[in-house]
Amino acid sequence: MDPRHHPALRRRLVVLQVFVWSLVGGLGLVYAWLQIVRHGEFKQLALQQAVKIRPIAAPRGLVFDRNGSRLVDNRRALHLVIQREDLPDKPEVVRDLALALELDPPALARKIQSYRAAGKGRPLVLRENLDESGIALAERVRARFSFLSVEVAPRRVYLGDELAGHLLGYVGEVDEELMKAKPTQFHLGETIGKEGFEASGNDKLKGVDGQKRILVDQLGTEVANFGQADAVAGRSLYLTLDAGLQKVMADAYGEEAGAAVVIDLRDGGILAMYSSPSYDPNLFLNRLSQEMVDRYLNNPTRPMVNRAIQGIYAPGSTFKLLIALAGLEKGVITPQTVIHCGGKKNFYGRDFRCDKLSGHGNLSLVQAIAQSCDVYFYEVASRLDIDDIYATAEKYGLTERTGVDLPREKRTRIPSRAWKRKAVPRDPKWYAGETISVGIGQGAVGVTPLGLARFYALLATRGKLITPHLFYGFRDDQTNGVSLAPQVPFRDTPLDPQHWAVLDEGLFQVVQGGTAAASALKEVTMAGKTGTAQVATFVDKSHYARQAKFLKDHALFAGYAPHEKPQIAFAVVVENAGFGASTAAPIARKLVQYWFLDRTRNPLPPPKGRLVDPFAPQPEAP
Amino acid sequence: MRSRFRALDPPLLWTMLALMVLGTLTLYSAGRNTPQSAIWLKQSLWNALGLGLMAFLATVDPRRLFRYSFPVYLVGLVALVAVLLVGKKIGGSTRWFVLAGQTFQPSELMKWVTLLYVSQRLGSRPAEAVGKLDLLGALSLVIFPMLLIQRQPDLGMALSFLPILVIIPLMRGLRARWVVALFLLVTLAGIGAWKVALKPYQKQRVMIFLDPSSDLQGKGYQVNQSRIAIGSGGFFGKGFTSGSQTQLNFLPVKTTDFAFSVWAEERGFIGVVLVLGLFGLFLNRLLEAAREAHSHAEAYFCAGAASIFALHLLVNVGMVAGALPNKGMVLPFFSAGGSSTLSFFLALGLIMGILHRSKVK
Repeated sequence: MDPRHHPALRRRLVVLQVFVWSLVGGLGLVYAWLQIVRHGEFKQLALQQAVKIRPIAAPRGLVFDRNGSRLVDNRRALHLVIQREDLPDKPEVVRDLALALELDPPALARKIQSYRAAGKGRPLVLRENLDESGIALAERVRARFSFLSVEVAPRRVYLGDELAGHLLGYVGEVDEELMKAKPTQFHLGETIGKEGFEASGNDKLKGVDGQKRILVDQLGTEVANFGQADAVAGRSLYLTLDAGLQKVMADAYGEEAGAAVVIDLRDGGILAMYSSPSYDPNLFLNRLSQEMVDRYLNNPTRPMVNRAIQGIYAPGSTFKLLIALAGLEKGVITPQTVIHCGGKKNFYGRDFRCDKLSGHGNLSLVQAIAQSCDVYFYEVASRLDIDDIYATAEKYGLTERTGVDLPREKRTRIPSRAWKRKAVPRDPKWYAGETISVGIGQGAVGVTPLGLARFYALLATRGKLITPHLFYGFRDDQTNGVSLAPQVPFRDTPLDPQHWAVLDEGLFQVVQGGTAAASALKEVTMAGKTGTAQVATFVDKSHYARQAKFLKDHALFAGYAPHEKPQIAFAVVVENAGFGASTAAPIARKLVQYWFLDRTRNPLPPPKGRLVDPFAPQPEAP
Repeated sequence: MRSRFRALDPPLLWTMLALMVLGTLTLYSAGRNTPQSAIWLKQSLWNALGLGLMAFLATVDPRRLFRYSFPVYLVGLVALVAVLLVGKKIGGSTRWFVLAGQTFQPSELMKWVTLLYVSQRLGSRPAEAVGKLDLLGALSLVIFPMLLIQRQPDLGMALSFLPILVIIPLMRGLRARWVVALFLLVTLAGIGAWKVALKPYQKQRVMIFLDPSSDLQGKGYQVNQSRIAIGSGGFFGKGFTSGSQTQLNFLPVKTTDFAFSVWAEERGFIGVVLVLGLFGLFLNRLLEAAREAHSHAEAYFCAGAASIFALHLLVNVGMVAGALPNKGMVLPFFSAGGSSTLSFFLALGLIMGILHRSKVK
């Protein structure tokens, strides 16, 4: 009964003892294998997941108007990102992640692929500028996809909202095409200016990213910092813009479409430039919602187009000054030439009508400009060849781009024989009758509002061709001082002072007692020219066919002030608004009124913008 | 009180205490900077309670306990059925009773009750008098609670009943044809289990064991992180409370299933050898208790207990190193948990009693 006298059992228990000890030994061997033989490999893995090198996004430079009012600010924002070393590689994980975040799965897979291929750099941003609901979503998604993290980075805030949307533009992640085109200049995930001055001034505004070595826990939270190279913030700068004048301009448009520009004649700086309808660049910092795509990108009124530099309008009567100049220089008229207007005139077997059907009677050049007589300029045009007109336009800079520091400026269209051969190959011959239409700024002529303003700046400065620009100078953040940019030089043109004097007088008479007399100001003299463009050649005519107002003409007004010693030049275009004197000239009057009178007495406050709290939900569309 | 502690076997007690101290230190380090920072204290309370229970049982004549083994076994079976009906469902399985805020796992205790009853049945007669029918009966006594536990489902716990069957070769010795038959049976059972009985998550565990890198973000993540913790600990370890895997929370469930990885990371291979050595001494002493026992039933109980502890050691320590499937079997003295701690001490109390009796008479 007693097992101690049961030798077989005792023997078997000894076997069991041996078995237990060999089990312990076997486990020891497994641990020796892991902890001694493969120690280096696992040490590396442990370091890899706990010690991370994270880029520190450099804030871009701030943007101020010429008076130091803040236009573009930086705020702290949270982004949902994947750090480079955490990029998932399983297709089904990528697909699930894309679905969870409502992204396009193939696009996300492609993006992850390209991030993996690139060297070090920014993390891959999945959702930018998280608001409250975004943070909640990020937390939910991170529970499933532990490789996601939330990054703190500066974000842009455009304080004026729609005030200067086209002008400032907005930033975004560098796209694939640009990366391929200039692989050395940009790195993947970098934030660059996409539109407006953010794009054209990108090199001035961008900073240099820093990086830090940190210890992170399993959730990616920073536990310790082993040292960092600080990011270098981009330089802040001043624009030539005056926020108050810009506000007056924007308000003057209201619901009307069009564009206007005011140029400082001292240096060519743009004091105000507005394209209506405008857009709010703040909304373009986040992924576009369908509602925004419909509102901005698929909108027939094309809010994304900066009409001031991309809208091509028939200049109408504002073009008569160039015709007069061409006539004077070619010698087909003199400043004293008188032409009779009978309300219409026949050229090449066709009647060309004047606005005033009863006729203006006998007119000098000054009177013809002041009354905007069409017959006078039909006659001048008929004495000229189209290539003469083109040559004059070329001489005074109307055929070239203005060279403004904004992206994607369109060239004005001044017809010539060579132009027609290229543009209309099925009917390449130039007909003399077409020149008559060009005489009053119709037909194939098309200018941008900025190009038109530049021509009137040339008249204001007695022949100086300025380069309009927005960049004023860098800002010293310690002193708020400005280190002015080198002045963009004027180009002198051989404008005959005698010719100039006639044109200047004509423009003065327009406001004194001519077509824009109603818009005259008591305190400040103005010189300018109204225009009514019958043909809508802006971008795509088919859009206008659907517009209720499509039958109405575009109204224009271009000029300068004060007349005696001009300081500013301007151009105003109001689409489908009818006669230039009734809609465009009053806007110009408001601008002149603010610039010369209200600005000093009662300046407008700096722009604030709707977005106060970066974590607040995006503002609703007005 | 003094006499009670005098009844405890010093070699077994000292190895146990040493393991308990190391385990508590590990839990302290694992709980640091987590919501479970007091877990080492809570586990110390369970240990103290267990030690008291053990000291009490050591003075009780083991034969009295064996006498009540049948009714207790029946009560255990009822409890296993009851837990399936009224137990609390946590994470897809119904294993726990909830009493006054504490969860209690009846299967934990049932393992020892089954061992006790089977030892009593087979040990009450001379080994030569035990027939094949008795062996078959003992086999079914083990398999029946296993099936109930697999209903919960809890494969790890069910499998930890198997060491009880070590008693059979102890009585009869191992024959070559038995080994071959057993091997065939296990293979067939394995295939059958794979096709029919295993739940998808269990299959997944096996798959991940076969290829840990196949699911680094999911189940394989745990074992992978544990291997990194162990391997990066190296020979000397990273130092107490200085393991990056542990302290930065890369290591999952580090206060229960993966507590040993914490130890291995912070104390290195030297620490691992120390703990494995202590476990060796511990198991060795249990088998010595079997050799010195006054009755076959007592010897069987000690040997069965040693086998159960050995299985826990093998599966847990092997699992966290990625050498065995992720089974969820706790490591005695290291993994935090009330039910398992108390039942371990219950068994050890009985063994202490057996050792005490073998020395007195």
